[in-house]
Amino acid sequence: MKQTTRYGPPRVASSTTSTVANQTGSWKYIRPFYQDKIAPCNAACPVGIDIEAYIALIREGRWQGARELLLQENPLPAITGRVCDHPCEQACNRSQFDAAVSIHAVERVIGDMILQTPPARANSTSTHTIAVVGSGPAGLACAYHLVKLGHDVIVIEAAAEPGGMLRLGIPEFRLPRRILDQQIEWLEALGVCFRTNTELGTDIAWEDLSKFDAVFLATGAHSGRMIGIDEEDGPTFMSGLDFLKAVNVGQRPSIGREILVIGGGNTAIDCARTVLRLGADPLVVYRRTRNEMPAIEQEIREAESEGVRFQFLSAPVSVRHGESGTRGLNCIRMELGPVDASGRRRPVPVTGSEFTIASDTIIKAIGETSQLDYLPVALEREGTSLIVGGLGETNIHTVFAGGDMTEDTRSVAFALGAGKRGAIGIDRLLRPGRRQPDELAVEQLKFADGNVSMARWMSSDPVARAAPVNRVVSFDELNVNHFRHLARNEDRTTMMEENQGSFQEVNPGLTSEDAITEAGRCFNCGVCNGCELCLILCPDIAISRGTGEERFIIDMAHCKGCGICVEECPRGAMAMTREGL
Amino acid sequence: MSQTMIKHEIPRKEFLSPGHLACPGCGGSIAMRTVLKGLGEDTMVVLPACCWSIIAGPWPQSSLKVPLYHTAFETGGAVASGIKAALEVRGNHETTVMAWAGDGGTFDIGLQALSGAAERNEDIIYCCYDNEAYMNTGVQRSSSTPAGAWTTTTPSDHPESHPKKDILSIIAAHRVPYAATASVAYPQDLLQKVRRAKSIRGTKFIHILSPCPPGWKHPDESTVDLARQAVQSRLFPLVEVENGQTWRFTMDHEGYPIAPYIKAQGRFRQLSNQQIEDIQQQINERWTVWENRVKYGT
Ligand SMILES: Cc1cc2nc3c(=O)[nH]c(=O)nc-3n(C[C@H](O)[C@H](O)[C@H](O)COP(=O)(O)OP(=O)(O)OC[C@H]3O[C@@H](n4cnc5c(N)ncnc54)[C@H](O)[C@@H]3O)c2cc1C
Ligand SMILES: Cc1ncc(C[n+]2csc(CCOP(=O)(O)OP(=O)(O)O)c2C)c(N)n1
Ligand code: SF4
Ligand SMILES: [Mg+2]
Repeated sequence: MKQTTRYGPPRVASSTTSTVANQTGSWKYIRPFYQDKIAPCNAACPVGIDIEAYIALIREGRWQGARELLLQENPLPAITGRVCDHPCEQACNRSQFDAAVSIHAVERVIGDMILQTPPARANSTSTHTIAVVGSGPAGLACAYHLVKLGHDVIVIEAAAEPGGMLRLGIPEFRLPRRILDQQIEWLEALGVCFRTNTELGTDIAWEDLSKFDAVFLATGAHSGRMIGIDEEDGPTFMSGLDFLKAVNVGQRPSIGREILVIGGGNTAIDCARTVLRLGADPLVVYRRTRNEMPAIEQEIREAESEGVRFQFLSAPVSVRHGESGTRGLNCIRMELGPVDASGRRRPVPVTGSEFTIASDTIIKAIGETSQLDYLPVALEREGTSLIVGGLGETNIHTVFAGGDMTEDTRSVAFALGAGKRGAIGIDRLLRPGRRQPDELAVEQLKFADGNVSMARWMSSDPVARAAPVNRVVSFDELNVNHFRHLARNEDRTTMMEENQGSFQEVNPGLTSEDAITEAGRCFNCGVCNGCELCLILCPDIAISRGTGEERFIIDMAHCKGCGICVEECPRGAMAMTREGL
Repeated sequence: MSQTMIKHEIPRKEFLSPGHLACPGCGGSIAMRTVLKGLGEDTMVVLPACCWSIIAGPWPQSSLKVPLYHTAFETGGAVASGIKAALEVRGNHETTVMAWAGDGGTFDIGLQALSGAAERNEDIIYCCYDNEAYMNTGVQRSSSTPAGAWTTTTPSDHPESHPKKDILSIIAAHRVPYAATASVAYPQDLLQKVRRAKSIRGTKFIHILSPCPPGWKHPDESTVDLARQAVQSRLFPLVEVENGQTWRFTMDHEGYPIAPYIKAQGRFRQLSNQQIEDIQQQINERWTVWENRVKYGT
């Protein structure tokens, strides 16, 4: 019998279909989803800036978008980039990894860029006119936001030029007048009108404001506090703020050689550094220690490096008169006692420890209070501060207020934030219906427990958010295994010798290249930036790129709920939920 | 940028289909998914018995988008050699043949076939996805199971007492052109090694640590984290060796303490702090060996 050999594929079972038909997603009892959270910097910023978002845009080279996002919340980035004490950086999660992102330096670079081109005039879409009294950061911010919201605004300012403390208090070497002037011109181009040399209470009366649909008060805090010793009003003493104002308008007061500056806040440090630049020798006398000084840390450091001397734990007792008319200050040593209401240890005098310091001029810079005498008594106040609600409302229906005259924390950023709240409060009053007017709605406008967001008020957040929750993402929720250590781009500060006698800006900021590198250090806490680790590490190929608004799509028919995506997300922008919820 | 954007380095095309039958969080699936991205379409996979025999799906399904040949437990090296020879006979010198075996199929029963292939320097890639026990049959110990680990055959009062077999050195001793370790926590490193392997003629061996949630008794979501900790603690360094002689680290190993890795896994629950300290000691000693290899090739 003939044997036939047949070659060909062996007789084995061959598969013909894939496993896609298997609904392996039905195994799961929990499932992942994308959930945007709030970056800690956003919540810590008193202005209420979507810092994480604009920094992400810079990294992608989308400068225009970054500018718009920043400008939506902050009218003065070139200024805050220079003088803000940047609580955002204290909150930055990256500080627990290597060093905080230098947010202020990045902001400053965009701020300067913004000043290069004047803005288009804002469209006036409302029939309302609002008076803003005071042109410091609070007044400027309120006017800016109201103009952008379509209202007409007139800013009434007692001084000859707008700017408030930015012009009268903060010295040139920290904030060049050129920048401030450009900033004011920029605001004018947008449509903000200023009426300077007009003091409410003197040049115009409170009643004159009744023709406006609403009023925002932001007259700051300009009266020097008293130490409480004899001869304080006499010629031996000079008010720190008066001294700075004089120098800031170009005068060079003759103060002698040995200068004592009493105080520990920004005014004191600025006075000392200004004294140094006038060729005299300042000694800062402060009753607590360096740790308790309320001045901005970087300013203290710069002052030290410039050669400003400090006499800590010392308080003035009386003025000393020498035989030949030489003057000095009798002081007493202090020690730190128990913690007081300010949360700092209270200084208590050490008996018998009196000593004397010689001086030609004593500059008193122990803080300022607001002067509310020009306001009607009907306006509710507590001490020297006006009482306001969450959106700047006072007890008088059409009157709002903010800034140093209402805030416990006195800073440019807090003033800008208050101005924004006031603008939203006024917009809500004059244009009911833009949003629900209840208090819950106000809470929802905030970056977690931080300041309100204009983007949210306008419902114009340009960032597509996945199931956002209004809560700060903590360091522990990040997966920092996916980040590399990178040195922070520090500010370049010019050397002491160069600063002597010069009011040139001390800190030249970062170059735009360095700012981009610095922006690249941001973790983008809480917000998906499309890194795709979730997609790459999924064992079930259940995540794919989305089209349009959704960055990613989770294929729930095949996701087994292992949670690797959530665990590995570097920025805590995902979460798990129970199946069926 | 401070985050390495690995998305730009990972090919987008998928050769593994969803709906496969691996457990949630299976490291072996991430390993296969990544390796196939590196090998591409013109690949044939030889699969001795292991978890992956199940993951690949029941007939008439296959979760792979490339041809896959199921074969007996001990035959990975031999069948891959045979398929490669058959392709060569038919004039196909291009197609990559990859054997894909578990640690049992590599360290234990398949070692002879693998050694034969390596000794003949067959032109194949042999990948071992290592979950450190016989997982498919319900967690029995293999010679890859680390000392101190629980398995069903090394119960907690008599946990595994032998150290994990040093398979990489065994293969390197065959003087194969390329051998490497990899971890599912570092897909870009794994991909680079796969691409290297594909570009070389001869036997290439890649040993991929692939955590297994049910076998190691860790939460499903910890798979990648443990695969990373194993590397960063220097327990499982990422290295490659050419011709059995030139050793190289492919990663900075931070030297994190081993305790968190051990404590995150139920299979090590019976270990005392002293025993964990001993493991740390062994890792430290072993690290000197690795460093010397990289430095002096010994
Ligand atoms: C020396 C110094 C340095 C500082 N440095 C910093 C710093 O580095 N960083 C920081 O964040 N903060 C700093 N601050 C604090 C910061 O400047 C203030 O918190 C901020 O300017 C307050 O803004 P504001 O708009 O409330 O008030 P202001 O800036 O004080 O503006 C109030 C404006 O109202 C005007 N005004 C007052 N009364 C009337 C009236 N009756 N009618 C019309 N106009 C009136 C004033 O002329 C002034 O222009 C500093 C303050 C000082 C004094
Ligand atoms: C000769 C032989 N003995 C035993 C088995 C049963 N068996 C199938 S898979 C497997 C374990 C495989 O372990 P490993 O290679 O480590 O792969 P894993 O399942 O862990 O992924 C065993 C013992 C078999 N298929 N053939
Ligand atoms: S037992 Fe382990 S290796 Fe096997 S499929 Fe499940 S997770 Fe993967
Ligand atoms: Mg195994």
